[in-house]
Amino acid sequence: MTVFKAFLKVLNKNKAIVIMYTVILIFFAGFNMKTNDNNTTFTASKPDILIVCEDEITGITKNLIEYISKNSNIKEIENDEEKRNDALFYRDVNYIVYIPNDFRKQFLNHQNPEIKIKSTKDYQASLANMMLERFLNVANTYLAFDLAEEEMLNAINETLEQEVNVEVTSKLDTDSLTKVSSYYNFTNYCILAGAIYIICLILSSFKKESVLKRTTISSMEYQKYNRILLLSNSLFAFAMWFFYVLLSYILFKESMWTLHGAFYILNSFVFSFFALTLAFFLGNIISDKNALNGIINVIALGSSFLCGAFVPLEWLPKTVLNIAHILPSYYFIKSNEVLKTVEVFDFASLKPIYLNMMILLLFALAFIIASMIITNKKRKLA
Amino acid sequence: MFFHNFKYTLKILFKSKMLIFWTYAFPLILGTFFYMAFSNIENSEKLEVIPIALVETEEENITYKEVFNALSKEGENQLFTTQYVEEKEAKNKLSKKEISGYVVLEETPKIVVNQSGINETILKLVVEEVEEMTTILKNVATIEISKKITTEEGRYGEEQFETWYTEIYKKVMEIQNEQEVNIKDTSNANLSYTMIEFYTLIAMTCLYGGILGMVAINQNMPNMSNKGKRISISPLSKGKLILSSVFASYIVQLIGLSLLFLYTVFVLHVEYGTNLSLIILLALVGSLSGLSLGIFVATIFKVNENTKTGIMISVTMFGCFLSGMMGITMKYIVDKNIPLLNKLNPASMITDGFYSLYYYSTHERFYFNIISLLVFSAILIFFAILSLRRQKYDSI
Amino acid sequence: MKMKIMNYHYKKEKGEKMKNCIEVKNLVKEYKEIRAIDDLTFEVKEGEILGLLGPNGSGKSTTINCILSLLKFSQGSIKIFGEKMDVNAYEIKRNIGVVFQDVSVFEELNVYDNIDYFCGLYIKDKQLRKTYIEDALHLVGLENYKKFYPKQLSGGLLRRLNIACGIAHKPKLIFLDEPTVAVDPQSRNNILDGIEKLRRFGATIVYTTHYMEEVEILCDRVIILDKGHIIASGTCDELKHLANIEEKVTVEGIELSQKTLSKIKEFKNIEEVNYEENILFITYKKGKNNLSELMDFLKEKKVTYNKIFSERPTLNDVFLELTGKELRD
Repeated sequence: MTVFKAFLKVLNKNKAIVIMYTVILIFFAGFNMKTNDNNTTFTASKPDILIVCEDEITGITKNLIEYISKNSNIKEIENDEEKRNDALFYRDVNYIVYIPNDFRKQFLNHQNPEIKIKSTKDYQASLANMMLERFLNVANTYLAFDLAEEEMLNAINETLEQEVNVEVTSKLDTDSLTKVSSYYNFTNYCILAGAIYIICLILSSFKKESVLKRTTISSMEYQKYNRILLLSNSLFAFAMWFFYVLLSYILFKESMWTLHGAFYILNSFVFSFFALTLAFFLGNIISDKNALNGIINVIALGSSFLCGAFVPLEWLPKTVLNIAHILPSYYFIKSNEVLKTVEVFDFASLKPIYLNMMILLLFALAFIIASMIITNKKRKLA
Repeated sequence: MFFHNFKYTLKILFKSKMLIFWTYAFPLILGTFFYMAFSNIENSEKLEVIPIALVETEEENITYKEVFNALSKEGENQLFTTQYVEEKEAKNKLSKKEISGYVVLEETPKIVVNQSGINETILKLVVEEVEEMTTILKNVATIEISKKITTEEGRYGEEQFETWYTEIYKKVMEIQNEQEVNIKDTSNANLSYTMIEFYTLIAMTCLYGGILGMVAINQNMPNMSNKGKRISISPLSKGKLILSSVFASYIVQLIGLSLLFLYTVFVLHVEYGTNLSLIILLALVGSLSGLSLGIFVATIFKVNENTKTGIMISVTMFGCFLSGMMGITMKYIVDKNIPLLNKLNPASMITDGFYSLYYYSTHERFYFNIISLLVFSAILIFFAILSLRRQKYDSI
Repeated sequence: MKMKIMNYHYKKEKGEKMKNCIEVKNLVKEYKEIRAIDDLTFEVKEGEILGLLGPNGSGKSTTINCILSLLKFSQGSIKIFGEKMDVNAYEIKRNIGVVFQDVSVFEELNVYDNIDYFCGLYIKDKQLRKTYIEDALHLVGLENYKKFYPKQLSGGLLRRLNIACGIAHKPKLIFLDEPTVAVDPQSRNNILDGIEKLRRFGATIVYTTHYMEEVEILCDRVIILDKGHIIASGTCDELKHLANIEEKVTVEGIELSQKTLSKIKEFKNIEEVNYEENILFITYKKGKNNLSELMDFLKEKKVTYNKIFSERPTLNDVFLELTGKELRD
C-alpha cells in the first residue's frame, strides 16, 4: 500500500501533463468534427471556388456564375488580390475565376474572351477546371449556331442541368468511421507521449540510485516491490486508456456502440499494453529525467508522424511506409484503418487486424524480456 | 573583459547538452519527420488516373467507347484507365476497390460507385458531358431544321431531314473539336503549402533560441543563481556582462539556425524563394525576436529557471500553433479572423515573412513582417532594460 | 614555492594604524514584516579575521549580502575601505572576494576553467591570471584535479573549488559564508589551513559559521548574532568571560551516595551540580584549583571513577548564557 501511495503522490505532481495531452486530443478530435451528413445517396464533390466578376451580371455572365455556384461552394473573400492569393495558398479556395469586364459583349461577338483563373492544381481544382471547360464548351457550341441570346441561354441551361443517376453500393457510414479512426490514430501520440512519459518519470524516481538502495535493503521482498510497482503503472496506463475510450463515447456516441466500436477499443487496449511494456523498458534503462523527456518526445513524434497518426497513411510516401513497418504504432494505426472499411465481421476480413494485434503483442513480449534482463543486471550491481 | 565573458558563455552554452539538444537537434529531427510525413501530401492531392470499368450491353454505344478511349489514352491528359467487363465482375472489382466505379452502357447509362468522392464525381461529370451531346443535337437540330423549313419551303422529305441532321451533327462535332476554351492560368508558381510547416519550424527554432539567451542572462542574475551572486559582486558593469552574454547566446543561436537552414535546403529540399539576402535578414531578425523574448522572460519574471524555461516553451509552442505548425490552416484562420493576434505573434511574423518571400514577388508584406518583428523585439528589450536597472534585490 | 607564497603578501604601508576595513552603521533590513537585521553597527579592522557567529536564520548571510550591495536594505550605511559601498563601486568590488554558502560554479566548465572564468572577471592580464589560478589551486589543494568537472568531484573537493573561485584574484577583503558546512574532516582541515594562510598573507576576512570550534581556532574577534541583533562581541577570551563560568568538570563512571553528593554541592565557587546515570557534572563560577580539590576530596572518600576532565567554557556556553538556547538547534 505504501508503494502505491507513493506512486499516487508522484502521479499527482505530474497531472498537468495528463491534462495537457487530453486537451490536445480533444482539440484534435474537435478539428475533425465537421459534420457531414453522409448517407447512402450520392453527393457530388464540390470544389471551393471564388468568382471575381468585373462584368455586369446578365446574359452569359449570369449563366456562368449560376452554373458554377450550383456545382461548387462559393467562397467570399475580401476584395483584395493579396487576400485572394492567401486564400488560394492556404487552400481556402481551390480555384479562382476572373470574369473580365466585357465578357458578355466579347462572347456574343464571337471573340472568345479570355478567362483568367488561379488554381491550386490539386484534384479539387482539376474538377473545377473541368466544370469551367464544360460550360465554355457548351456555350461556344450553341454560339456557333445563330441563336437569339435568350434562346441560347435557355439551351445552355437545359443542357447543363441534365443529370445522370449514380448508384452507391456501400452501406457503410464511412464518414463517421473515418472520424473515429483518426481519433484513435491520434491517441497513438497521446499514449506514447503522455502515458509513457509519466510512467517513465515515476519509474525513474523510484529507480534513482539512492531510492533503489533503500528499497533493496528494506524488508520488502524485491519481487513483491517490483510487482506492486508494475501493477500501479499498469493501473495508470489502463486508467488513461479507459479515459480515452470514454472520451470517444462522448465524442462519437452512436458510432461507438457498434461492433466497429468494440474493435477500436480492443485494438487500443492491446496498444496501451504494448505502450506499458515500452514505458517499463525505457524507465529501466534511462534515469536522467531531462534525457528521458528528449527521447520520449522523439519516439512519440517519430512514430506518430511516420505511422500515420497525424497524416493519413495513404498520404505517406512509400519509403516512409516501409520504414514504418518496423514501428509498433504502424500496426495499431493500420488496424484502425482496416477497421473503418470492414463491412462484414467474419474471420477473413478481420484477419489482418488479428495479425496486427499479434505483432503488437510480440513487440510487448520483446520489451518485457529486455527489461527483465536489464533489471536483473542492475540489481546485482546495486 | 567583454571577450572573456563572451568566450566562456559560448563554452558553457555549447556544453549544456540539454540546451543544445532542444535548440539544435530537436528542430532537425522534427524537420526530418515533417519531411517524411508531408513530402507526399501534395502529390496525393493531385488528380490521379481513375480506374473504371465499362459494362457493355446489347445497346450499341459508340460515342461512349470513343470518349472513354480518348480519355484513357496514355499521356498528360489521361483521366481514366478503362476496362470492359461483365457487370458481375465489375461489381466484384468495385467491392475490392480495384475500380472507382463502372458505367453500364444502357440507353440511359447507369453509374455505379462505392461511395461519394472526387473520383466518382469526375466519372459522373464525364458521363454527363457525353449525355449532353444528345441534348445539344436535339436543341440545335430543332432550331436549325425549323429555320430550314421556313427558308426552303415545301422542298423537304424524310431523306432531307436525314441529311440535315447529319450536317448538323457534323457541324456540332466540328465545333466541339476545333474550338479552344480560352482559359489562362495566372496563379503564382510557388504553391506548395507544406512549406509553411518548415517555416514554422524555423520560427520555432528562432524562438527556442531565446532559451539560450535566457540561460545566459540568468547566470548573471544574483537572484537566479549563486553564480550570479558571484558575478554581480565582481568589478564589472552589469550592462557589459549581460551584453556579452547575450551576444554569445545570439551567436550560438545563429549557428544552430544556419545548420537547420543548410539541412532543410540541401537534405529536405525546402524552398525559400530566391532572394538570399532577404532570407538571411529575416533569419537574423527572427532570431533577434526569439532572443529578446528570452531576455524579457529572464528579467521580468521572478521565478526559477525551470519555470522560465516552461514559459519559453509554452509561448513558443502556442505561437507556432497559431502560425500553423499543427495544422497549416490555423494560421490562415487566425490571419483572417483575428489578424492582430498574429501581428503580435513573432512565430507567425517569421512564418509569414518566409511565406511572402516564397509566394509573392513583391516585398511590401515581407518588410512589414521585418518591421513588426523589430518593434516586437524593441518593446521587449525596453522592458527588460527597465527591469534590469533595478540592480539590488529585496530578497535573493 | 616561496615566490608563490610571496605573491599573497599585500603591501602594508609602514606606520599605518589599523584602519577600519568595513564600517557598518545602524543597518536595518526588513522583509515585509520581519526585521531580519535590526540596527546592526560594527566594524572590521584591516588584517583581522572577524567571526560572525549565530544559529541558522540569525541574519549572518543577510548581513553579508547587504554589505556586498546584493540586497537592498532599509536603513543604515556601509563603508568599505573608507568609501561608501554601492552596486557600482567597482574599485571597491575589485578588492573583495566572496565564498558563498552554496557551491556556485558552472557544471559545464572544468575546475581550471571555472577558476579562470571568475578570476577573469577581476584580472585582465592573462599571464598574471595564470599564476593566480595556480596559486589558488595550490592553496586549496586541487592541483591534480584541473581537468575534472564539478560533477566528478566529491562534496569536500567541490567546496574547495568553490573557495578557489572566490579568492583566486587575491582580494584584500574576503567573505567566507559557512565554507565548511557538510564537509569531510580532511577537506575541512585543508580549508581551515587555507584560511589561516590567507590571513598570514594579510587579507582581512569575515567568516560566518555556526561551528564555534572553528571560530575559536581562527578568529581574532567574534560577533555573536541572534535574530538580527548583536548580542555580544569581542575576542574569544573576552566573550568567554560573559559566560559567567570558569570551568566545567565532568566525572564519568562514578558512584555517589546522596551524602557525598550533597557534600560536593557545598563546595565553594560552585554554580551547578548534576548527577545522572553515574556521570557527575559540576560547573564552577570562578576560582582556581577546583579540579584538584575535587580529586582530593574523592580520594579521601575513596570514591572510584573511570575518567575525570575539566573544560573551559565554549562560545556555546556564552550563547546559552545570553539567549538561553543552544547555537546549534
